[in-house]
Amino acid sequence: MHNLYSNKKVIFSLMAPGLIVFVTAILAPIILSTYYGFTNFSGIGASSFIGLENYKTLIHDSVFWTALRNSLLLSIGFICIQHPLAMLTAVKLDKLQGKTEGLFRCIFFIPNVISVAVIAYLWKFIYNPSFGLITKVLRALGYTGQLNPLGAGNAIWAVLLVLIWHGFGWGMLIYYTGVKNIDPVMYEAAAIDGASGSKTFFYITLPLMKPVIQVNVTMAVISALKQMETVYLLTAGGPGNETQFMASYLYKQAFQSYKYGYGNAISVAFIAICLVSTVALNRLFAERGE
Amino acid sequence: MAKIKAAVINKPGRIITIAVMTLVAVIQMFPLIWLLDFSLCNSNEMFTSGILVLPQKIQWNNYYLAFTNGNFLHYLRNSLLINTLAVIMVLIISIMAAFACGRMEWKLKKVASILMVMGMMIPIHATLLPNYVIYDRLRLTDTIWALLIPYVAFSLPQGFFLTSSFMSSIPKELEEAALIDGCGIYRIVAIIIFPLMKASIVTVSIMTYLNNWNEFMLATTYLSSKRWKTLPFCILEFTGQYSSNYAVQFAVMTLSAAPALIIYIILNKHITKGVAMGAVKG
Repeated sequence: MHNLYSNKKVIFSLMAPGLIVFVTAILAPIILSTYYGFTNFSGIGASSFIGLENYKTLIHDSVFWTALRNSLLLSIGFICIQHPLAMLTAVKLDKLQGKTEGLFRCIFFIPNVISVAVIAYLWKFIYNPSFGLITKVLRALGYTGQLNPLGAGNAIWAVLLVLIWHGFGWGMLIYYTGVKNIDPVMYEAAAIDGASGSKTFFYITLPLMKPVIQVNVTMAVISALKQMETVYLLTAGGPGNETQFMASYLYKQAFQSYKYGYGNAISVAFIAICLVSTVALNRLFAERGE
Repeated sequence: MAKIKAAVINKPGRIITIAVMTLVAVIQMFPLIWLLDFSLCNSNEMFTSGILVLPQKIQWNNYYLAFTNGNFLHYLRNSLLINTLAVIMVLIISIMAAFACGRMEWKLKKVASILMVMGMMIPIHATLLPNYVIYDRLRLTDTIWALLIPYVAFSLPQGFFLTSSFMSSIPKELEEAALIDGCGIYRIVAIIIFPLMKASIVTVSIMTYLNNWNEFMLATTYLSSKRWKTLPFCILEFTGQYSSNYAVQFAVMTLSAAPALIIYIILNKHITKGVAMGAVKG
């Protein structure tokens, strides 16, 4: 019987598709990217091997640092603004019970199922300085000046607002699941002891939600690093390069500035940063958890 | 349990909670309501000062234009086809690999499972440039494969992870009985394991759909003709074609958002559960 479980041919045939996909669609492109990262290939024609030149340029490239800073700002926005709000909403939502609870839960998640293309174009209109929603609200409040939310200086905040708004339901849903998994006996005990709402939250809900918070924080940082689609469609990284993220910047370098080799160097750095951040966060939380 | 909770929250508290929830709901929904509102106006009405406008005459014509000139059905069909194929492939490949790594006995299974989940940490857009060269050489640009391969590859790690963790909770006795009856491994996977994996199949399908439905950068980079372009292009094309007719653009956006929204409302409970399960475990 155990013979069957260690039959090499069967194991190979079961694993082959998965490993082939991994090697051809993930590993091979990364290796190719590493190779092109050492060249000055423009996308067409000949190229030459230039060693670490691209990486030297990258370190001094202010836009690359802007992109990293933007990812950091977005992570902070997610963790300090979106998550506390999402968690509070989840806790309150859990107490509603019944149909109302289901209805609100359904509504909060709706922006997440709407395609990024719609979201980005919609917010472009919302931010439109002549007829956008923001302008109209400001005028209704008596503000007469001109404000272009996607203009220089404001754009990154406008982008952050969209991303925080769009991802809210996702974060909320995960915290909500965490809250649902807390044993109600805990709350009963607290209620019998006469604990107030805020005490119950800080001494029961919050500590028990720790694993969920850790997962959510890790995912927030990773998604902040990976951000691409919304920002590309909303601002294309502009004005200037103010709202560039790593993915949108490598795209721009390769397909608009025809620095394909340099774009690949950014890709490699991008992968390294994602790997290091994931591992670092997991380590950090693993140590704390013990 | 419910009784005690109800006793803890008094009436005014509940009203306040509902008020706060309503406020959050309005913030989440208002941009979409705004979109729907203006999609029914004519473009001139957008420049009036009201935050929401009651259209003088509902402009169904916007939707008619959006539907007929936007190749809506063509793009929707592509989106559905590509995403469904990706989901099926991810499911089959991950269940096979999860069985091999979780149940069968071989030396390198730990290494293999680590490789399989590695992809979770790698951003899909980092492979955008090298894949462009690869697909160009293999003449895969502008074919369905240019989207399918990366979509499957980058949804597979999560699919594998979820199916593996779910499979470990299925008792081995069932298969062992089948083995004694002379069932082969392939038949065990297909006939015994597969039907037992329902919950995780739902979760993996939903996560894969949500991952790929929105994808747009790869599609815009690898596809040049209309043949396989997906739903987001409906909007992109229209903003070029009707650049001054904002109301029609709003109608196109509403129309492209509709399929996913309708599916979500119908399958709301499953999707909520699936996302919760997928995200907490992933």
